[in-house]
Amino acid sequence: MENMKRFVWLILLLTASAGAFAQAGRAGAKPMHTVAKGVYEPFFRTAATLPVPVAAFRLDEYAVTNAEFIEFVKQNPAWRRSRVNRLFADKNYLLHWATDTTLAPANAPLLQAPVVSVSWFAAQAYAKWQGKRLPTVAEWELAGNGTPRHIRFHSLTDYILDWYKRPNPKVLPPVRSTYVNQYGLYDMHGLIWEWTFDFNSFVGSTDSRGNTTDEVQAFCAAGAVNVKDKTDYAGFMRYGYRGSLKGNFCIQNLGFRCAKSI
Amino acid sequence: MRLPTDFSRARTGLLATALSASVLLFSCQEAGKDKAADTTAVDLNAPLTGTVTAELTDAPLVPKPLTYNTPKKVMVELEVIEKVMKISDDTEYTFWTFGGKVPGKFIRVRVGDLVDFTLKNAPDSKVVHNIDLHAVNGPGGGAEATNVAPGQSANFQFRVLQPGLFVYHCATGPVGMHIANGMYGLILVEPAEGLPKVDREFYLMQGDFYTKGKFEAQGLQPFDEEKAIKEQADYVLFNGRVRSTTGKNALQANVGENVRLFVGNGGPNLVSSFHAIGEIFDKVYMEGGSAVNHNVQTTLIPAGGSSVVEMSLQVPGVLNLVDHSIYRAFNKGAIAQIKVSGAENPAVFKRSK
Ligand SMILES: [Cu+2]
Repeated sequence: MENMKRFVWLILLLTASAGAFAQAGRAGAKPMHTVAKGVYEPFFRTAATLPVPVAAFRLDEYAVTNAEFIEFVKQNPAWRRSRVNRLFADKNYLLHWATDTTLAPANAPLLQAPVVSVSWFAAQAYAKWQGKRLPTVAEWELAGNGTPRHIRFHSLTDYILDWYKRPNPKVLPPVRSTYVNQYGLYDMHGLIWEWTFDFNSFVGSTDSRGNTTDEVQAFCAAGAVNVKDKTDYAGFMRYGYRGSLKGNFCIQNLGFRCAKSI
Repeated sequence: MRLPTDFSRARTGLLATALSASVLLFSCQEAGKDKAADTTAVDLNAPLTGTVTAELTDAPLVPKPLTYNTPKKVMVELEVIEKVMKISDDTEYTFWTFGGKVPGKFIRVRVGDLVDFTLKNAPDSKVVHNIDLHAVNGPGGGAEATNVAPGQSANFQFRVLQPGLFVYHCATGPVGMHIANGMYGLILVEPAEGLPKVDREFYLMQGDFYTKGKFEAQGLQPFDEEKAIKEQADYVLFNGRVRSTTGKNALQANVGENVRLFVGNGGPNLVSSFHAIGEIFDKVYMEGGSAVNHNVQTTLIPAGGSSVVEMSLQVPGVLNLVDHSIYRAFNKGAIAQIKVSGAENPAVFKRSK
């Protein structure tokens, strides 16, 4: 059953990726920064989970904006709101846009805000079009752990939790409006949630049982015994958030940025 | 907190499955023995007799007593809403709610019903939520079936096997934070014969809150996990707000009436010593279960537990309902009131000149 599900996802992934044309030469238009190699400690610890070594990689300085995503759908009509396949993006896909390729004039400030309400498949297709890819959970967490350059808050964890505790703002602020970290990356926390390549471990998992149960347990109370650091409330919530996702979900506070191997 | 109950619940779930398949081998086994009694009242093969949509109410209101006496399919839909509300007159807090208020909507079903439960998470929610109903025999009380991302919904069905007053709560990690933000409510499972008729029913639920600022410090106050871990509550409240149920918001009743209170305790940390100042509970369904105690002054309500108390009102005046861990009542907000109207009753109480 679990294998069957993964097989279906894989097919969907391949089909969806075929929908976008890779466009060489565009990468570089947007600044990227190098995240030095490191080790990611999985949040939820089982006998099977070991610290994950992460090779150095490049990551977008800031999340993909509405303006950037408009360019993408203009050149890749299959990803327009009116045409997209529901298997790849649910009914909330780009819900905040006025038309297939525009925001309402009143929403002009959103052009420089992160694009949200995009599915994992759409993010994948965009990354491919850019000649990039989505970061893995391990990569994203390593980058997200980067020390803020200008500490304006008690600790990074406090800052993140403070963001989780606030309701979503009525108007999403632009990219580069929060803080920059040691790698030169902006808004790793405090603006939106971000897609990762292996958000739900439905591809590339080394665990043949399927990780779903483990993940569910990790953010249900029953699994708390296996959590690495019980006071890492922020890590807990990211873990839970990712575990609740499906590839076609489009959510008001979920966007993405792209990565590249070195 | 959930480990032992999960274990026994999983066992009961297995038993229920076994029974439904008419495999009765369990009855001779030690483990199944005492639990078997719980399910004998429910014939899992009996056909359901129609579909109803559950009436859901915000505290202090309680849905009307059920009028049907055969098992039905009951549709329940709850939406999780994260919103800033007043925790006191000049203090705001970002509550996470089942249905827009704290405590969450009161659900009323009958033993034997099949509940079709849909949990929605509002599109503008920040985080993931789920629900663990203590009335459920099944994995995580429903939590594992309902991890819902913002803007999504999840559905599961469960058979109500045992009567009682049960707490439900969010069990998304970190569970303490979700509960501390107000994610709890009550589901009443009426016994097959219903509850004895009373004149009035009310819904109260206690919870403890932890804020960066002190009690009633002004402005929007964020959750303080340090204080929560140390169990140093700034607020201990009935129905999610200081003075939620006092003064002009007091519960109303008359002399001569019989009043039933469905009282829950969401926690996350504190156990309640529930007491009515100037009344004696005629009946207490201890811990919300089937055992009834009589003539009780103060009843203990565990975090994640409940109690049903009944009292007949003999004299007029204001009855204060408190957590008798008394600093909570006087310094942290744990006080609710019943305004009892009617004629003086000097045979019961008389003030000397
Ligand atoms: Cu929750």
